[in-house]
Amino acid sequence: MAGDQANRLNNGGLIDRSAALNFRFDGKTFSGFKGDTLASALVANGVKLVGRSFKYHRPRGILTAGSEEPNALVELRSGARREANTKATTAELYEGLEAASQNRWPSLNFDVMSVNQLLAPIFVAGFYYKTFMWPAKFWEAIYEPAIRRAAGLGRAAQVSDPDHYDKAWAHCDVVIAGSGPAGLAAALAAARCGARVILCEEDFVLGGRLLADAGTIDGLHAAEWVARAVAELEAMPDVRIMTRTTLFGVYDGGTYGAIERVNDHLPVPPEHQVRQRLWRIVAKRCVVAAGAIERPIVFAGNDTPGVMMASAMRSYISRYAATPSRRIALFTNNEDGWRTAETAIAAGLQVAAVIDARPDVSPAHRSLASKGGFPVLHGSVSGVDGGKVGVRKISVLLTGGARAEVEADGLAVSGGWNPAVGLTSYHRGRPKWRDDIAAFVPDGAPPGIVAAGAANGAFSLGACLREGFEAGAAAARDAGRSGNTGSTPLANDEAFSLTPLWHVKGKGKAFVDQQHDVTASDIELAQREGFESVEHLKRYTTLGMATDQGKTSNVAGLAIMAAVTGKSIPETGTTIYRPPYVPVAIGAFAGHHRDENFHATRLTPSHHWAAEQGAVFVDTGLWKRAQWYPRAGEKDWLESVTREVKAVRSGVGFCDVSTLGKIDVHGPDAGAFLDRVYINTFSNLAVGKARYGLMLREDGIVYDDGTTSRLAEDHYFLTTTTAKAGLVMQHLEFCRQVLFPELDVQLTSVSDQWAQFSIAGPKTRDLLKEIVDPAEDLSNEGFPFMGAREVNLRGGLTARLFRISFSGEMAFEISVPARYGEATARNLMIAGKAFGVTPYGTEALGVMRIEKGHVAGPELSGTTTAADLGLGKMMSTKKDFIGRVMAGREALVAPNRQVVVGIKPVDKTRRLRSGAHIIPKGETPGPDNDQGYVTSVCFSPVLDQWIGLGLVERGRERIGEIVRAHDPLRGEDYDVELCNSVFYDPDGGRQRG
Amino acid sequence: MRIVCPFCGERELGEFTYLGDAKPQRPAADAGEDAIYDYVYLRDNIAGPMSEHWYHGGGCRAWLKVTRNTLTHEISSVEPAAGAGAAKVGA
Amino acid sequence: MAEFSWDIRSPLDRALVAGPYGARGEDGVTLIEIRNFDLVQVMTRRGAAGEMAKAAQARFGVAAPETPKAVSAGDATLIWSGPDQFLVLSKGGRHTMEALAPVFAGSASLSDQSHARALISVSGDKARAMLAKLSSIDLHPDVFGVGAAAATSMDHTSVTLWRGKDRNAQAVFNVLVFATFAESLWHTMLDSAAEYGVTISHSEDLV
Repeated sequence: MAGDQANRLNNGGLIDRSAALNFRFDGKTFSGFKGDTLASALVANGVKLVGRSFKYHRPRGILTAGSEEPNALVELRSGARREANTKATTAELYEGLEAASQNRWPSLNFDVMSVNQLLAPIFVAGFYYKTFMWPAKFWEAIYEPAIRRAAGLGRAAQVSDPDHYDKAWAHCDVVIAGSGPAGLAAALAAARCGARVILCEEDFVLGGRLLADAGTIDGLHAAEWVARAVAELEAMPDVRIMTRTTLFGVYDGGTYGAIERVNDHLPVPPEHQVRQRLWRIVAKRCVVAAGAIERPIVFAGNDTPGVMMASAMRSYISRYAATPSRRIALFTNNEDGWRTAETAIAAGLQVAAVIDARPDVSPAHRSLASKGGFPVLHGSVSGVDGGKVGVRKISVLLTGGARAEVEADGLAVSGGWNPAVGLTSYHRGRPKWRDDIAAFVPDGAPPGIVAAGAANGAFSLGACLREGFEAGAAAARDAGRSGNTGSTPLANDEAFSLTPLWHVKGKGKAFVDQQHDVTASDIELAQREGFESVEHLKRYTTLGMATDQGKTSNVAGLAIMAAVTGKSIPETGTTIYRPPYVPVAIGAFAGHHRDENFHATRLTPSHHWAAEQGAVFVDTGLWKRAQWYPRAGEKDWLESVTREVKAVRSGVGFCDVSTLGKIDVHGPDAGAFLDRVYINTFSNLAVGKARYGLMLREDGIVYDDGTTSRLAEDHYFLTTTTAKAGLVMQHLEFCRQVLFPELDVQLTSVSDQWAQFSIAGPKTRDLLKEIVDPAEDLSNEGFPFMGAREVNLRGGLTARLFRISFSGEMAFEISVPARYGEATARNLMIAGKAFGVTPYGTEALGVMRIEKGHVAGPELSGTTTAADLGLGKMMSTKKDFIGRVMAGREALVAPNRQVVVGIKPVDKTRRLRSGAHIIPKGETPGPDNDQGYVTSVCFSPVLDQWIGLGLVERGRERIGEIVRAHDPLRGEDYDVELCNSVFYDPDGGRQRG
Repeated sequence: MRIVCPFCGERELGEFTYLGDAKPQRPAADAGEDAIYDYVYLRDNIAGPMSEHWYHGGGCRAWLKVTRNTLTHEISSVEPAAGAGAAKVGA
Repeated sequence: MAEFSWDIRSPLDRALVAGPYGARGEDGVTLIEIRNFDLVQVMTRRGAAGEMAKAAQARFGVAAPETPKAVSAGDATLIWSGPDQFLVLSKGGRHTMEALAPVFAGSASLSDQSHARALISVSGDKARAMLAKLSSIDLHPDVFGVGAAAATSMDHTSVTLWRGKDRNAQAVFNVLVFATFAESLWHTMLDSAAEYGVTISHSEDLV
């Protein structure tokens, strides 16, 4: 009966029998022990059926004991923490673990979709391409949803992940992937040399295959040797041992990606801790000691629950003291597979038979067979009788052609070992074929990486230790460390004799890729249909494209392809290897950067004051800007914004404009420098004056604009748009360092140094007189339009004052050191109280600039020239500047260009929308008649109607013309009038007054 | 990828911004439209070592000339732009 | 007429809550915001490297840094911030723009950064573990010793980082971050440090 750990051995294993853990699988309660994986606990409880397969809904069991598992995928946890496609073979057991099998309905035992098996003929390779060709629109509506219901694996949680993830950097001389004998030996050698070492192990226990296969090292039992090695490593301060950490990727310049499952082994991460952490490890050298993956042999019924890799069976028996089967048959083509028979007998289990594909068996194994009382059959497994209850009977095709049957409840399979060549092949390295082990081994590894031990095709314990130790010592030396490595750990070199065998022909489905349900006949079909290249084979059949990335299937797949094409395996070749080696949660890549931390946020110096005033904020790039300040009783944003605009136009208001980029331009050549980056001249700007400037890209298109003030002979203060601040700084540094290195000029960003407020409205001067030292002359004579200088404020602060206006009103910008920014906002409120001062946000700012016809982001669109914006006259003809020559190209000065013009609906009650196309009256809307579009719109409180700016062909010559605003997106079409872009105070009297 | 900034030492890619081909030189003011056109638009598509402009914007703000093999990402040299760290040079 | 008071507010004034934060009973990371300092960027002019060096030596009694390091000069710290430039960090008005302008007249351009940055000092047993989540710089004691400095980025935000003098036998890492990014980086720092337990305070004293 399930739930009582009936298949648990009484002794042995690396489990803590004193720490029982309860868990649930498909709603049933079981118990396991600390040290178990979910898979080993299921094995201990006699659970063989753990899932249904991807396409055919075939019953599947546990195939492996590691991260290569294709079948035993579960939904782990529940609710928001539900995690699909989690490998039961690597999920660490914890108290209260909940898991559910996947891709079955209504239950694992009775799965409706298993009728797909009857439809198997249509689910062959390329069936998506062949079956659902017509009619095209059926795909989205019918086929895809149906297929998605029927095929596929686990379900995503569909709600936000409640856990946290983060990312961290680590630096070392030598990073080692894997803590088996090779990895531990490498770590010892490198660390003893004095190297900084990081040892990554994906398992939660160090030791690799030593945990299951034991052996004797330096005369010690393997477990003892591991304990001693780990203790030595842990005592060294520059060695970091990271368990539950998979090195999954190799990136340029010695950067490695690793995923640490910090708290996956707990139901919920402890408070303040992350679930997983993504590591970027910078290492001078890397030793890949990631071991090898035992490979299946493809035969009919090889996916029956109870068929398991031979090494996995040993792991369950030796490491977890859990017996997958009572009566085991073993199918092997190599010496190593026999260890499973040895292990089974040592554990008191029955061996039904060993089916060995090789002609000879060693005398030692012969005597094992006679002692164990089981036959050795020379031949191959050709079929398995079982189904969802698991293996019952095994059909054997004997070497001479005769047939035999073996009764067993489990079948261990060993087709040899494939070195884990992923990490060493990530930079398009192509592994090379070695005939003696019939496997690919690393070749052309990325710089700084070397494979050692089984990952390099060295399968004996002695060789693993030697290679690992040598690789570790060499890596440390290459990293510039030279200490005494001590002596190489010693162990025997067991024989590894293998006769390649990939596929046994037989009746019934023989699976190559069990996760994607790709069979041997699918590969043969692909070949017949011309998909011979391995890259085509992969995409046509989906072989190796599942979450396990074909760790158990790729080599078998291409061996079968090689056989049907008559080529050799190395001629057939491998597909390109790409990271990650194991699936990595998107959450881990995002780390801290989600929700409000998606990106860094910039706050203006008056942010918290604005928040106190109830401002609504808008994201502008990284900034949070006050968009408007709603007041009680206002029904929508438009009402608030309209009030703010009216208050400014009739009285006075202020707005935090600190988000503009601000750059100090210093040096004797500062003026000459600005002359080259702006279309207009700055070298002749008087100290104490500001000037509007426009810069182009070298191709003649407008790049950015802003005002620049000359504060001293050798000091300009330049402002940029909010959006381009960083880019303009980069551009100016490029000009300074690359284009014009002969100029003596220095640049510093002072964006954060100054809090800057625009104060606008006819009562601006009244407000300023309250706060500015009475000795300062703010009259038109004392402080003319475009003046810029320092003034003293009452209460003892010095500020910079600029008389510039983008609202069309009398306006100043005041600039104070940023830590006074909040005080400035408060003091402006005090100073302006008698004049009804109103703080306004970016919306009102935008309304006033549109009313005034000033261009901004939507017009500086990366397609417009200075002339398009109506600023062509600013282009100096007396000097060279960036973009000068290209701006003169025929197309950029063509008379029919789309230029900035004002637009207003003929029906004054109508709302104008940006993005609407401008079409001549009487013409059919379409690309041929498209004469431009509306770029910016607002409701103008001054004109009491919606107005806008647009880019329209010959727009300025067509003032007064009625055209159509055609807006297919919103289904609108209405008449608008082209008009002067300066809607408000066209003579500019107000801002100069 | 990691770039050895001549001023800061080895740094990770995220601190740098790529601009592109460092070969084209901005023509003199009187060079004419064709020369500027070539400078703005014409680029070699190099499979191999290529001289590129990178900006260490996340670090010391120096513009660098990096020789990078576009096939392997191997970086064979990094030099400061003419005007980066040039205070010792006469104005 | 109304009276105006010009209260100064650090960019972390609202975000910083003095006291313990994160894992209870742990004291892995200490975060101290240093407030109200003077910070001037000094940028050497063309051909004036020698003149600038002499001026700096005369003013501070130490050579200005020419490579990434922070030099302690009694009442100021000179921190390399890029080629041909360094920052002068001080307190109490001794090395303000006004004070330094005559010193470097003709040899360097000066830009006031006093309000442009927030200064956060990070120390404690777990300071390196916490900073590893933010910084790609190798902070191993053999690599980043006392006085080492870097113009670098933390969490995609430009910072100037340097190692000050050890305090209570523990390394102290100083981070100058742009003021408008300060609150954002501060929250990221708290998130990174929370698992180790944090002690938060602010101070008027440079360390």
